[in-house]
Amino acid sequence: MKIAIEELAGCSGCTIAVLDLHEVILDILNEAEIVYSPVIMDVKEPPDEIDIAFVTGAVRNEENMERLKNIRKKAKTLVALGTCACYGGISGLSMLSSNEEIFNTVYRGVDTVKEDGVIPTDVPPFTYRAFAVGDLVKMDYYITGCPPKEQYLKQIIPALLKGDIAELSRKSVCSECDRKMGSVEGWHLKRRYEGKPDREHCLLGQGYLCLGPVTFGRCNAACPKNNIPCHGCNGPSLDILREPCRDLYNMMVRRISDLTDRPEKEIEKELYDVSHTMYPFTIGSLIMEDKENSKIRDLVQERSR
Amino acid sequence: MKEITINPVTRIEGHAKVRINLDDNDNVESAHFQVVELRGFEKFLIGSAVEEAPRITPRICGICPTSHHIAAAKACDQIFGAEPTDTGKKLRELMMLGQFIHSHSLHFFMLASPDFLIGHDAPAEERNIVGLVKKSPDLAKKAISARKFGQRLTEALGGKPIHPTTCIPGGISNSLTEQKRAELLEMARPTLDIAREGWSVARGIMNNTDTDFGAVETAFMGIEKNGRFSVYDGDVSILSKENVKTGSFSGVEYPDYLNEYSEDWSYLKFTRLYNGEYYRVGPLARLNIAEEMGTPEADSGLDEYRETFGRFTQATLAYNPARYLEFLSCCERAVSLLADPSICGTDTRTPAEGVVNERGVGIIEAPRGTLIHDYSVDENGFITKCNLIVATCQNNYGMDRGVEDVAGKVVENGNLSESAANKIEMVIRAYDPCISCATHAIGKMPLNIEFCRNRNII
Ligand code: SF4
Ligand code: SF4
Ligand code: SF4
Repeated sequence: MKIAIEELAGCSGCTIAVLDLHEVILDILNEAEIVYSPVIMDVKEPPDEIDIAFVTGAVRNEENMERLKNIRKKAKTLVALGTCACYGGISGLSMLSSNEEIFNTVYRGVDTVKEDGVIPTDVPPFTYRAFAVGDLVKMDYYITGCPPKEQYLKQIIPALLKGDIAELSRKSVCSECDRKMGSVEGWHLKRRYEGKPDREHCLLGQGYLCLGPVTFGRCNAACPKNNIPCHGCNGPSLDILREPCRDLYNMMVRRISDLTDRPEKEIEKELYDVSHTMYPFTIGSLIMEDKENSKIRDLVQERSR
Repeated sequence: MKEITINPVTRIEGHAKVRINLDDNDNVESAHFQVVELRGFEKFLIGSAVEEAPRITPRICGICPTSHHIAAAKACDQIFGAEPTDTGKKLRELMMLGQFIHSHSLHFFMLASPDFLIGHDAPAEERNIVGLVKKSPDLAKKAISARKFGQRLTEALGGKPIHPTTCIPGGISNSLTEQKRAELLEMARPTLDIAREGWSVARGIMNNTDTDFGAVETAFMGIEKNGRFSVYDGDVSILSKENVKTGSFSGVEYPDYLNEYSEDWSYLKFTRLYNGEYYRVGPLARLNIAEEMGTPEADSGLDEYRETFGRFTQATLAYNPARYLEFLSCCERAVSLLADPSICGTDTRTPAEGVVNERGVGIIEAPRGTLIHDYSVDENGFITKCNLIVATCQNNYGMDRGVEDVAGKVVENGNLSESAANKIEMVIRAYDPCISCATHAIGKMPLNIEFCRNRNII
């Protein structure tokens, strides 16, 4: 069994997540041979015969695009590993500005550079937008998570290597959370720095924007358990993915409205900075953008004007 | 003109290549370390509520996410005028130590050491952690277990081993339970044993270090706390290339000392001192700057290190033993913090109310060197401006010149053998560059494609 890991635009966290299998890696190495993974080994190009290739990161420049097409050709099974690959991930936030604006800010607009700084051109050119890999080539499987969590990779990867698919929970973060629903009165949306959330009750009920209800689980509700609202890093929950008219934004609004007995319109007025608080991991995904009630198109247009 | 490229540079974090230009006689005319990626965080953070920066910026880098998390949180402390409590600070420091232990052991044992332990001339397929597992299974197992402790420590305090989320303005969201402390301490002690044992390996490497390899002369910059090595707080000191202290800063005044520029052939910016002098950051810089490590075994290691390299060294490959000493020191410090029950205090956070300062600058030492997060916000705390200066930009010049130095020595008759290419990469690897960190992007106006597909989520 020959396996490979290709890295596109991302943070390498997904490859580190594979190393975070710790000693299980040694068992995997007994079964399979890693033939290509630039973060941990020196082979420069993926060989021709690969059984399973994992792709991490999104596509943001032409080199990423070529590498993606190349690995698709060479791998029998291609797996999108991590939220960047599945939904564009945090790199998708770049959709909020044009390439020119990004270059101008980075090379000319910050306090430590000069206004006439060089904008590099002798480098692989940017694509006109960020892409999730599944929006460009056919993927065989998707493993979500930013990065995917150890406990699940331990079940998924060895099974994949045997040609199986592990049967795992497909529930939302809320289903893994141990907080209680209490009565909700005088609800208002709080910024994350405001007050100290109590450890017993649902964060959303306490006024913190917790994306647990709309987020795919398998992190054991890591953030709510540490008194931090969920940010949605595992990507959308299965019901949202399956239903064309369900989107992160409208489902959150509906959920808060149910919880607080206040009309959806009033809830919407309290929301702020929707691009960074609700869509930071999915804004580069065509699947999410194409939902009829997605806010992504508005957010992207608003900023690029 | 002929060109040789090494693409991608491997066993580093992120995407980079080396381009060597040859003249008509096949001699090296110039060589560059070229970074082929950019993401644009400095732009796309604008408009975000600043307290989200500690959750978004860790995604700059999956190897040192904690550094970004904490640098951003420190900037938020200033913006909201909330100085963390003692326990809050200790927990953050402990989280930083988890970061160093994982990152340094990853680099030392898994990314750099294959060149030294397996040999830089060994076939490419063998020169890696898998090869190390075959050649020295015992050492590989220890490397895995040391890194595991680092990641477990981060997970316990940060919620997740990669991309932690718990640091908020004024401190940290959760306290450490007595039971968890006991568990972590139980893992910390054997990790310290591994670090101690491994010093003999590192010392062996040190004795064989070629001090001319990848040569470059620069100034140095790094944090010290009253002369001690420190990862979470302290002042930034600047040493000239003649070992004279020429500057010191701790916050918003950093642009008085540093400037950045770009070149056409790389997405990675370069940083230099205001007087035009280049400098380097990271383990080599920190050990040049600190008087002591502040922990007993690392201090005695430091004496041996200084016997070999002197009190002040420019030797690029000394980055490797310097990194190792830091790893040892961080293990010692983690044991001592975890052995103290006061770390379980429950007062982990100073409440924050609203924006007190419209600018905050968080500075810490990331594993690869000084990291600066600078945010300006409006009166409601939404980001209006952001500047991120990461270690790899600051080491860009060192890597770029080092590459040219080695290329000049190893290119023969216009050809670069595979093992010679690896020598060039060894210079780069000594800096443990993090390309994701260094490149912060894209696109506009999505194309609407009809889309409907069954996603095989597993
Ligand atoms: S999904 Fe997260 S961890 Fe993986 S590459 Fe993207 S940002 Fe990094
Ligand atoms: S909304 Fe958040 S806090 Fe509430 S139950 Fe769901 S995950 Fe838990
Ligand atoms: S709770 Fe939410 S933000 Fe936290 S790890 Fe899970 S999915 Fe990601």
